[in-house]
Amino acid sequence: MSTATDEEEESVGPLRRWTRDAVRSPGSTYRGLFYVVTLFFVVTTLFPFYWLLVLALTPGDQMRDIGLLPNGFNPYAFVEMFERLPFHVYMFNSVVIALTTTLIVLLVGSFAGYAFGRLEFRGKTVLLLLLLAISYFPPAAFILPLFRLFTGNVTLLTLPVVGAIQSPDWFNTPGAMVTPFSALFLPLTIFILTTFYSQIPDGLEDAARVEGTTRIGALFRVIIPLSAPGVATAGVLTFIGVYNEFFISFLMTDGQAENWAPIVWGVVNYQGQYQAFYNLMAAASIVGVLPVVILVVIAQERIVSGLTAGALKE
Amino acid sequence: MATREEHSRSRLRAAAIAPANWTERLTEQQYAYFLLVPTFLLISTMAVWPLARTFQMSFHADALFTADYVGEFVSLTNYVELLDGTRDAVLGSPFVSLSNPLDSAVTVTLIYVVIAVTLETVIGFGQALVLDQEFRGRRWVRVAVLIPWAVPIAIQGMIFWLFFQPDIGFATQLLQDLGLFGRNPLTRTIDSMVIIIVADVWKTSAFMALLILAGLQSVDRSLYNVARVAGASTWQRFKFITFPLVLPALLVAMLFRTIQSMRIYGIIETTAGCNTVPSLTCLVVSTFRAGRYGTAAAVAFITAGLVALVAMVYIVKFADLEVGR
Repeated sequence: MSTATDEEEESVGPLRRWTRDAVRSPGSTYRGLFYVVTLFFVVTTLFPFYWLLVLALTPGDQMRDIGLLPNGFNPYAFVEMFERLPFHVYMFNSVVIALTTTLIVLLVGSFAGYAFGRLEFRGKTVLLLLLLAISYFPPAAFILPLFRLFTGNVTLLTLPVVGAIQSPDWFNTPGAMVTPFSALFLPLTIFILTTFYSQIPDGLEDAARVEGTTRIGALFRVIIPLSAPGVATAGVLTFIGVYNEFFISFLMTDGQAENWAPIVWGVVNYQGQYQAFYNLMAAASIVGVLPVVILVVIAQERIVSGLTAGALKE
Repeated sequence: MATREEHSRSRLRAAAIAPANWTERLTEQQYAYFLLVPTFLLISTMAVWPLARTFQMSFHADALFTADYVGEFVSLTNYVELLDGTRDAVLGSPFVSLSNPLDSAVTVTLIYVVIAVTLETVIGFGQALVLDQEFRGRRWVRVAVLIPWAVPIAIQGMIFWLFFQPDIGFATQLLQDLGLFGRNPLTRTIDSMVIIIVADVWKTSAFMALLILAGLQSVDRSLYNVARVAGASTWQRFKFITFPLVLPALLVAMLFRTIQSMRIYGIIETTAGCNTVPSLTCLVVSTFRAGRYGTAAAVAFITAGLVALVAMVYIVKFADLEVGR
């Protein structure tokens, strides 16, 4: 019996066998199609990174007609990229700016999230809508006055004896980026934290209060620790958001690494000054992406829940 | 000695606790407002004041040759001259031009938004359907899909700039052989538009996918069993169950992406440049750098107005859905 079916299997071609199987069990065809589509998505999203690696490893004098494999092998591009431009300083600046913003946003956002999530007060809905409306505006609508403010050109107040008090000249300092970022990324964090904080049962907070904790103490000792996943989510999203930001980062410094210029300027300066060093630019791109890629791999659950919760709440 | 030290320490502690104790005496409403003070300070100085000031500036003339920041009050002149084309000469490229849609800021921005958001929706939906299945390695597929979303805009620009350099990028060679692209695609508007749209789809489809996935996972699975018993095909199950139930999440995702893509700037600056692809935000930056602050403010508020208009379309559509239920 079994030999007879084997011979039959061999007598029909592989294509016909495949179509026959496909007709008999459409489920497995869908399965096959599913794997093809999945593979397509994975390849299209990751291919640019692979090609960057190919480009980075190709020696500088072999930079023509690069295919799917590097023309040669030159890992020193990953060293040289730091020598031509202080790319590590740009990255450091970006990380410092992103971390500072994240800390400020989490602190300020925690107070606001507590108020919106756990307290009743007049004007709550109006204030939430105001926050939402502000996140609709394009950054271009903020930049002109902010630039003047942070270049010390706005008169804050005029006193009779001292004279006019000008706004601080923070151009080329982290303050000119951290302060606007804190405001622009605050709404998302408030929406996420409001959701998380409102889900903590009142009893837990009351118990801490009975034991003599102050109101502020209860926020820091009960509410925030119990909402750790929410705080982590908001923190990760803010960090990635600031690290990736282009517009304000681009306009608030003059582009020198020692003047707190972030990674945006590392890239722009490479394109401006070292146009022909394609391998160094590719290496710089790979290195610049690493912090956020690591963050995505570690914190993907948090990112997914945060993006969906934040957006669908709004 | 010891008592004195103790005394001063306890006074220090008391000073630290005092504000915390003060909050104890507030009513719930007062406490809420107290907690919102830092938020209020940040938002009012960094968002509300700049918006109001920009709006006010947009009604003033440019002051190029005086010490003043902006010139005299001119009411709606900036807006009128931008929209009727009188201001095109100082902008370097037309503001609105329906006859040459690839030259003018408004049309370039809108064409880009419509094509990019449509493609992202379709691809994001596909990715969401894949991620909705149970299979081995799903976690890693999700990471792979999510990584482009986390790439800084500047590096995204660098990647696609490198991709389409005439000598090295194999993509350029291939597309030239097919007759689709010119010799140096990043200096031709139409080629650059295609590149920028592809770059945007590559980066942001994942965002779309995640929101749609959240919608998919909230669909009651027993509905599919009922449909299967009733003999519905896979396509029918998608059309009559999945799609209508996911539609609200889909609209929210599209609204978000549309608002974000109206701001397009960074990817243009790092690939083709604002001369090749003039978007609205490009114009704000170029007029700002030229010292034409009144014009820049007006362009910024026209952009904000367009965003609000598009947001309204979605919100009305969304309200229809809610009523229809």
